[in-house]
Amino acid sequence: MSLRKRSERRGAVAIVTTLMLALSLAMPTSALALTTNKATARPNEDGGSSVIGGLDTRLTWEGTVEEGEEVTEVTLMLPDDGTFDGATTKITVLDGLKRAKLEGEAVANGSQLTVTFKEPATAGYLLRLEVEGMRFPSEGGDIVVSGSYVNQAGEQTLADSKPIKTIANTPLQALVAQLDEAPWVQAWNSNPFLGMFFKPQLLATAFATLVPGWLLCLLIVVIAYPFAIVLGLVFALMKISKHRLLRFISTLYINVLRGTPLFLQIYIMFFGLPMMNINIDNNVLGVIVIAINASAYLAEIFRAGIQSIPQGQYEAASSLGMNYFQTMFSIILPQTIRRVIPTVTSDFITSYKDTSLLSSVGVMELMMFAKNLTSVSGNMTPYVAAAIFYLVVTLPLIKVVSIVEERIANSERGGGPRPKGKNAAKAAEASNGAKLSGLAVHAQALDDEHAYDSAMGQMTPSYASEV
Amino acid sequence: MSMLSRRQFVQGGSVVAAMLLAGCGSSSSGADASSAPADGEYKLVNEGKLTCISNLFFPPFESMNEASGEPEGFDIDVSKELAKHMGLEINWLPSQDFDTLVPTIKQGGKADIAIAGMTITDARKAEVDMSEPYVDSNQSIVVKSGSTETAETLDDASKTIAVQGGTTGADWADENLPNATKKRLSTIIDAMSGCQSGLYDAVVCDLPVSSYQIKESYTDLQIIEEIPTGEQYGIAISKDNPGLTAAVNAALAEMEEDGTMAAIEMEWFGSEI
Repeated sequence: MSLRKRSERRGAVAIVTTLMLALSLAMPTSALALTTNKATARPNEDGGSSVIGGLDTRLTWEGTVEEGEEVTEVTLMLPDDGTFDGATTKITVLDGLKRAKLEGEAVANGSQLTVTFKEPATAGYLLRLEVEGMRFPSEGGDIVVSGSYVNQAGEQTLADSKPIKTIANTPLQALVAQLDEAPWVQAWNSNPFLGMFFKPQLLATAFATLVPGWLLCLLIVVIAYPFAIVLGLVFALMKISKHRLLRFISTLYINVLRGTPLFLQIYIMFFGLPMMNINIDNNVLGVIVIAINASAYLAEIFRAGIQSIPQGQYEAASSLGMNYFQTMFSIILPQTIRRVIPTVTSDFITSYKDTSLLSSVGVMELMMFAKNLTSVSGNMTPYVAAAIFYLVVTLPLIKVVSIVEERIANSERGGGPRPKGKNAAKAAEASNGAKLSGLAVHAQALDDEHAYDSAMGQMTPSYASEV
Repeated sequence: MSMLSRRQFVQGGSVVAAMLLAGCGSSSSGADASSAPADGEYKLVNEGKLTCISNLFFPPFESMNEASGEPEGFDIDVSKELAKHMGLEINWLPSQDFDTLVPTIKQGGKADIAIAGMTITDARKAEVDMSEPYVDSNQSIVVKSGSTETAETLDDASKTIAVQGGTTGADWADENLPNATKKRLSTIIDAMSGCQSGLYDAVVCDLPVSSYQIKESYTDLQIIEEIPTGEQYGIAISKDNPGLTAAVNAALAEMEEDGTMAAIEMEWFGSEI
């Protein structure tokens, strides 16, 4: 607002000066007839927020015509090395918030740009010049836009703008520029599909700029998951408890959280909590939402896992004189953990992917960065780059799940780590023996039954998690 | 291609000055339009229908009716009149994120036009064709009522500014509030809800939208700065379909001429803007 105050002050100065002019005709004209409101530049760093020198960007300059003045021409000047050559200028003249019908023409000449208005711009008009495709000096630094203007009294000096921060070129931007030039890139991009989803320049930019978002995703889920496991276990034990109230609370918790979209839960937490004057950091809130949501799914996985342990284990434990907690923590849960590892890992993958939903409430995670880049570039490539970042984590985990699953299935089937050849030979021997001896047939049948039971036990938790 | 549209288009075109048609086949009449595709002929995704896409969370320009879920708003009325003037039926596709509209039109095959309170910018013109402007707009900074923030205090790393991704409001914030943390959200509703609940310190968005929203729904927000930018909304059309751009421009000019546009402005803004 001090900008406005300043312009008011300047306006006042201008009025006073004009009055003085009227009194003494010999006085030189004030240099404040056209106030420089601002000069800004659009960030042109791909995926970043800096203004890079030597690369095309857009300069926006605004000035207000003061009381009693008529401006016919404005010239903007950059320090040497800066250039307006090849730029197109959009001239907008505003009277308050309305566009005034005042046209002008811009002529660029190196570091100078001259805008001539067809009719003089009168008092109160806001002159807005948007120069697209201009370049700041390539070494960077704080750039001041100076210049001059022409009013009824002749040429006057324009007040300097506030400095615009610019930087020298970055290695990444240099790489992008290199790719821009490469013939194979141009050929590649001329295919609409490849150009829209796999644009090499944007892949390079995206890989570099998405990293912080990717790390945040990992951080959120890695912190959230231990909490989710503990919470899940508590609710799983509550759900199989003998007390009706505990069972009810746990069922309510699990069903509400599993029965509503995570998206909705995020909205309620992010918009609802601050309204109740509970202000938590966005990232922490993200961790909390993911942890709570995952805990409901984990509770069901754990419950199914615990219940898949044969009743005989409980009976054996109690015959050894163990109480409930001893039975649970030293007999049942260790067996459960082994059985639920694959499903828990799958759920971890889901939670990791679910962090993407946090982008809708402004958590700067992977999707948010990709969305930013897409909205700036109008190209889908950043989303493809984000997909690759997700896959880097999920593909190895999926592999781990399948290996663990196979091992468990094997061991429960009684296959174990025995060499395959020997196993096959044994099976062949048994079937041969079956022809000879009834006893061998009986033994084989018993063996099969055991394997069948184990397989059923194994299936229960994974089935439950899919519900 | 659609014969009917062709005839009406030429009829409409003849009403307005010939310069508006700028060499788009004023020679062909409805009768011979069905033969070879004449100069100025255009393709439509669905024959006889003008298929539109937008982000339907941008009232009063576009929103969904609370009861019926049908699209409504200034742009929707403009599109309906546009279709009528072109002799076509209107076909609205479901809402999609604002930042995907230009890529969708560029790719083609899904929708003919995107009419979404979209400012005509050079960056957009590099990707798609933009029609002639049909309404003017400006920017605004919105904060919670009673907040003491100003444009200057907001330019600080500790402040979060919510914007809608891909909008000129987002560009303005990037350029004029370089130090603040910008959050690019899918819809302006997300931004305003977040500002209301204290999640964000301010929202930068188009002035007609913020003033309408504050009047209608977000009564505990206020505009602290009206930013004159003089930007103008246009309709995005694929570069591969110059005939359609010409036809849309002709129809827009006709709507300006016959008072249709003024009537729509009266209905949504209570004045001609």
